[in-house]
Amino acid sequence: MLELRAVSKTFNPGTPNELRALQAVNLTVDDGLFVVIIGTNGSGKSTLLNAVAGSFFVDSGSISLAAAEITNWPEHRRAKLIGRVFQNPFSGTAANMSIAENLALAAYRGKPRRLDWPLRKPLLGEMRERVSHLNMGLDDRLKNPIGSLSGGQRQALTLLMATWLRPELLLLDEHTAALDPKSADQVIALTDTIVRRHKLTTLMVTHSMHQAANLGDRLIMMHRGRVIQDFRGAEKKRIRVDDLVARFEEVRRAELLDESAAEMLRRVYI
Amino acid sequence: MSLLLGALTLGFIFSLLALGVFISFRIFAFPDITADGSSALGAALAAMLLVHHVNPVLATFAGFAGGFLAGTLTGMLATKFKINGLLAGILVMTGLYSVNLHIMGRSNISVLGSSTLSTYLDRVGTALTRHNTLNVMGWEITSLEASLLIASFLFIVLAGCLMYVFFQTNLGTAMRATGDNHEMVRALGINNENMIILGLGLSNGLIALAGAFIAQYQGFADVQMGIGMVVWGLASVIIGEALVGTKQIGLSITGAVMGSVLFRLLVAMALRLGLNPNDLKLVTALFVFAALVTPELLNRFKTLKPRSFHA
Repeated sequence: MLELRAVSKTFNPGTPNELRALQAVNLTVDDGLFVVIIGTNGSGKSTLLNAVAGSFFVDSGSISLAAAEITNWPEHRRAKLIGRVFQNPFSGTAANMSIAENLALAAYRGKPRRLDWPLRKPLLGEMRERVSHLNMGLDDRLKNPIGSLSGGQRQALTLLMATWLRPELLLLDEHTAALDPKSADQVIALTDTIVRRHKLTTLMVTHSMHQAANLGDRLIMMHRGRVIQDFRGAEKKRIRVDDLVARFEEVRRAELLDESAAEMLRRVYI
Repeated sequence: MSLLLGALTLGFIFSLLALGVFISFRIFAFPDITADGSSALGAALAAMLLVHHVNPVLATFAGFAGGFLAGTLTGMLATKFKINGLLAGILVMTGLYSVNLHIMGRSNISVLGSSTLSTYLDRVGTALTRHNTLNVMGWEITSLEASLLIASFLFIVLAGCLMYVFFQTNLGTAMRATGDNHEMVRALGINNENMIILGLGLSNGLIALAGAFIAQYQGFADVQMGIGMVVWGLASVIIGEALVGTKQIGLSITGAVMGSVLFRLLVAMALRLGLNPNDLKLVTALFVFAALVTPELLNRFKTLKPRSFHA
């Protein structure tokens, strides 16, 4: 179970660029739940993922995962519990190393790296088998450098790497945003399959209303560093793309109203 | 002939420098100039211990260990204290200058008269050939020269193989990945800072080992001897890459050794042809500069060509 209690993070505090990216966010995610997070630009959805992954330490609040208090754990220590796929296909793999070497690095996620041999026969066999399930024609190319693959292939491999050892939590940060539509669909289908098959607790940030409406068991909407909407269970299942667009429009109008009201008050009183 | 043998032997010894520079500059993409200090540190430590009648193997190993510590120090400055990598190297290198003076007690010490690896090899060579000189294809060479060359060759083959095997292990793979993509490495639970610290330790250990061998080969250690080492190592690595490419770690290691030997041969030839030894470092720097910018210039030339054709 993932639990965030009153998590806050402010970037560039005390400067004109101050950004209150997370404002006392509370979130509890039960085991095996697939949670989709959407939000406007700068709403804090990626910041939320990075806070859980440990890319930075939060200013206040606490984070626990699988009964461990991980608020003060550095990123590499949290990786024992967390698998991650990044938005940028270049971020999740080492371009100059072979597919097999990359997978081997993932097969030891969270374990000490010793002077033993990573590419042993059983592991290589397992690699061939699991890579063949990607249906990307990579089975015979395990020795090829990852840099020679397309973005979609790299993201599919990163997904495989993130879930090679079953993670307590899978973090997907707009992992199809940089892909062409066809590869994006492929990677999304793969994501759904893997998450369902292994019943992975998952947080997926997306900018696609379509993905948000059709994927996952729970949908969270963020705005200005806060969770403003939380659809669960049957309610989530009923959500359509139009509902989400309408909800966003509402948020936008409220904001406009806020700003025009503020402007009016300024004009009247200043 | 002995000029050629000397150049080859020096080339093999300096291969350790090239391998060290390869680790920091190529595997970690870390511009580590600690090397200028750590090579002299290796020489100083080994020479000082040899003068005090310590076993040459132990003394040489002490040189390696000293360089290793210096490298980890640079790594810690760069990671734990977030100092710019180049500056971290400069700080350690500058500090090492004083350390080296303290170790030796003066600016240079001679190990002639002490028993060193060279005197060991001389004894072995003389015992095997039962002569002080050998006749190889009409050339007269001393058994010392021959045994130094063979020993340095065997050692560098062993070191290269060990390094290749190391970078295939889990730890070595994690190190290579750290230089490739530190974001991914952290996401897979590897402490990338520790990898950099350990990697720079290994790099500078090898470089200091080269220093320790050089001190015994030339018979003295000098506090100034480290100046320009990084550029020498880089020149060797670049020549190696031109020879064998950069695709595979095994090829790169072989290339660095070949580059080092070829570089020493070129230096020996240039000096023979009348190059002023004072100009050696300037010429090497210019060579590295040219090797670094040429690919870029060629690329620009290629992309410019079609446009000028239309114009």
